[in-house]
Amino acid sequence: MKYSFYIGCLIPAMEPGYESITRKVLPSLGLELEDIKGANCCAPFSIQSLDYYGWLVLAARNICLAEKMGHDMLAICDDCFESFTAANELLKKDKEARDKVNALLSDIGEEFKGLIEVKHVLEVLHEDIDLIKMNLRNPLDKLRVAAHPGCHLVRPKAIHQRIRLGFDVMDDLVTAIGAKAIDYPQKDMCCGGPLRGVNDEISRRISREKLKALKAAGVDCVATVCPFCFRQLDLGQVEVKRYFKEDYSLPVTHYMELLGKAIGLKFTESELADHKVPVERILG
Amino acid sequence: MAIGEKNVMVIGGGIAGIQASLDLANRGFTVHLVEKSPTIGGRMAQLDKTFPTMDCSICILSPKMIECARHTRIKLYTYSEVVGLKGSVGNFHVKVLKKPRYIDEAKCVGCGTCTEKCPVKVPSEFDMGLGMRKAIYMPFLQSVPRMVTIDPERCLYFTKNVCKVCEKFCTSKAIDFKQKPAEMDLSVGAIIIATGFDLFDASIIPSLGYGKYKNVLNGLELERLLCASGPTRGELVRPSDQREPKSVAFIQCVGSRDKRFGYPFCSSICCKYAVKNAVLIKQHKPDTEVCIFYQDLRVFGKGFQEFANRSKSEYGVKYIQSSPGEIRERSETGNLEVWFEDTVASEVRSHEFELVVLSTAIAAPKENQGLAKILGIELDPYGFILAKNAVTGIFDTTVEGIYGCGYCIGPRSGDVPDSVMQASATATRVAEVLTSLE
Amino acid sequence: MSEVQSQEKRDKVSPVVQGFMNEVASSPRGEGILYCYQCGRCSGGCPVSRIVSKHNPRRLMEKIILGFKDEVLSTDLPWYCLSCFTCVDRCPQGADVGEVMFAIRNIAVSQGNVPKGLVEQARNLLSSGQVVPLTHLAIEKRRKLGLPKIEFAPPEVVQNLLKKTRLGKLA
Repeated sequence: MKYSFYIGCLIPAMEPGYESITRKVLPSLGLELEDIKGANCCAPFSIQSLDYYGWLVLAARNICLAEKMGHDMLAICDDCFESFTAANELLKKDKEARDKVNALLSDIGEEFKGLIEVKHVLEVLHEDIDLIKMNLRNPLDKLRVAAHPGCHLVRPKAIHQRIRLGFDVMDDLVTAIGAKAIDYPQKDMCCGGPLRGVNDEISRRISREKLKALKAAGVDCVATVCPFCFRQLDLGQVEVKRYFKEDYSLPVTHYMELLGKAIGLKFTESELADHKVPVERILG
Repeated sequence: MAIGEKNVMVIGGGIAGIQASLDLANRGFTVHLVEKSPTIGGRMAQLDKTFPTMDCSICILSPKMIECARHTRIKLYTYSEVVGLKGSVGNFHVKVLKKPRYIDEAKCVGCGTCTEKCPVKVPSEFDMGLGMRKAIYMPFLQSVPRMVTIDPERCLYFTKNVCKVCEKFCTSKAIDFKQKPAEMDLSVGAIIIATGFDLFDASIIPSLGYGKYKNVLNGLELERLLCASGPTRGELVRPSDQREPKSVAFIQCVGSRDKRFGYPFCSSICCKYAVKNAVLIKQHKPDTEVCIFYQDLRVFGKGFQEFANRSKSEYGVKYIQSSPGEIRERSETGNLEVWFEDTVASEVRSHEFELVVLSTAIAAPKENQGLAKILGIELDPYGFILAKNAVTGIFDTTVEGIYGCGYCIGPRSGDVPDSVMQASATATRVAEVLTSLE
Repeated sequence: MSEVQSQEKRDKVSPVVQGFMNEVASSPRGEGILYCYQCGRCSGGCPVSRIVSKHNPRRLMEKIILGFKDEVLSTDLPWYCLSCFTCVDRCPQGADVGEVMFAIRNIAVSQGNVPKGLVEQARNLLSSGQVVPLTHLAIEKRRKLGLPKIEFAPPEVVQNLLKKTRLGKLA
């Protein structure tokens, strides 16, 4: 199965390790990635807050590029996924908005046609969950994992009609790699990331509440599927230690990393360099 | 009038069905009352007290149940279902399937020895799963008809070909493992449907914890705990540790007035029963902290606002205008942390309660779907029986000669007197229609 | 462009503007405001409100309904939202505070009220085409990891695309 791969801007700039691992793991499961060349910013929620049509044209241009490639778009970031899915569903349904957006797109010679779907890597992996089970070489036995799917994966209105990406999906994927998916009351709680740069104090108080809940759940590590959430919960622990004098020492991993290990891949030191909280115990 | 025209069928033996049956029988009609469970009585038998008079529910209900059983013109078909229909108003032919109780109805005296000896315990449907019954059982003490029933899916004889202790101890020789279902063809002039309601399953709302957290209950479950004939003999104890709760929260509008799950309407009855149950809890133990989280307090009708006011002034029930966003369980204690906005102070905070009761939406009984197909009537988008005319013909279904009353046509102002009133009105309607056919 | 004021530090009450609710209802993503019946479920689940209890979604909807336009648009109230959509999940009426929040913010921006942090993001976007720009250090790290060279859209394309939108005129 081939996908138009949208990498975003945070991952290439700040989490190249995650990108490297993703580019190894997905093809080894038979998912072919064709990079979208010349992509622009996805217009995440912060940009959406500034301007409605600004969001729509930015998102739409990327969708146009994917449409021309002829494959569904694959996102590995919750914010990119939310922006594209909401825009895609809206432009497919609302003719007035579509006409306005296409008028703006015509200035750069593009046209939104509504030909493709936008998918998050989590749903793609879940659709072919047997593929993971078949390739399982190193089941992560006894590893207690708390899933943090992230708000923009499970709650945008646009996906309520299509599929409701439940937390069960991520738990299924954790179980599929042999680990134990641990439930905890604040599973659907936000990591606090979106308030970075707007109100850092509230942002870190929220991540602290989330980290507290995760720690109380007694897990070995947290699994994320969004680079923003990852950063907020991983690098965020440094901040929480500094401002609240609380040390959680909770390893935060990308689900992709756990998956990679489970199917027998080995990671280099530089691939794991993005982690602030040591993960050798989990991924070494 | 032809024979069929003097006969009426009532489907559903709850208070509405019972009232309609009595009204018609007293007028000279022969009523065939068909009830799917082993006893008549319905939801009202499950309630502890009715509001606002706080009468004991079963005490007002059981005389009517017995009147039904003894009435010369009412024929009771319990543990039976309607499976086929032919004909039209004045001349319906209804196929009724009587499920086998495996008990000779003429011989069973309801002594209860078999129930005592039966080794199999099963969650009791009547007690909403909070208590147990046996594989051979009577749903509740005042069951009408007063006889037992064997549940073949749980009985050891039917599942594993062993036991038969009931047969050994029955002094009336009433056990009949070989009993077969019986099909009957009944000729009736009109049919009244009174199948009642189910409750919305709140486990579909994960943020409230119903189905996940032991101490989050729905209204009917609470009724069973408060009721002296219930699994805890009327002691309000919480499911997780059998301890009396020191604090109870009621949450209104769970599922109702909500566009998401198919119940966008107000269920009409919940504010009233929450006030009633809050007062009952306070009467049990006055120092219990009782809070009702409401959106609007819809207690219309004579006596109800007064009752709500008394609940505040005389009993100290607290009212918070806010719908909680989240419930989290404290696993060490089983207590529930309820997060809400105190809309008066505009402050978001949490408060710990030992028990939470959800006032869930009134849902159409699942039986309506199958019944509608058999009878050829239409249902509304919520699964309740569709009225032929929502203004002047609310008891008429879309098929002439078939009528509906009580909750199965949808929640209205909702209390017991209302169902009784509807039942009588429908009975009059049926009598009018059938006599005009002469 | 004026800086958004702290809602708590304001000492005058906003005058009521009739029709503000309808203005929001007819803005993109603002339709839900018409259905709000002030139940407060949104607030009960809001992670921000648990920390700053007076910053709650229900209250913001109330202010919109009552027409406190100035307070809603020129203070930091709407900018505290995480856009986590928990409120959207909880709302029984489809009032969807989280969506209305976007409408409010769009209107606020059109009137020149934007928090500093976001202005910077907008400037990055228009100058480099990305919100998080690719630094030399990042390019070096990528090379060492053997990752392919990233080809982003040329900034001129992004600027051209946005020139007729409010976003393009922002920076």
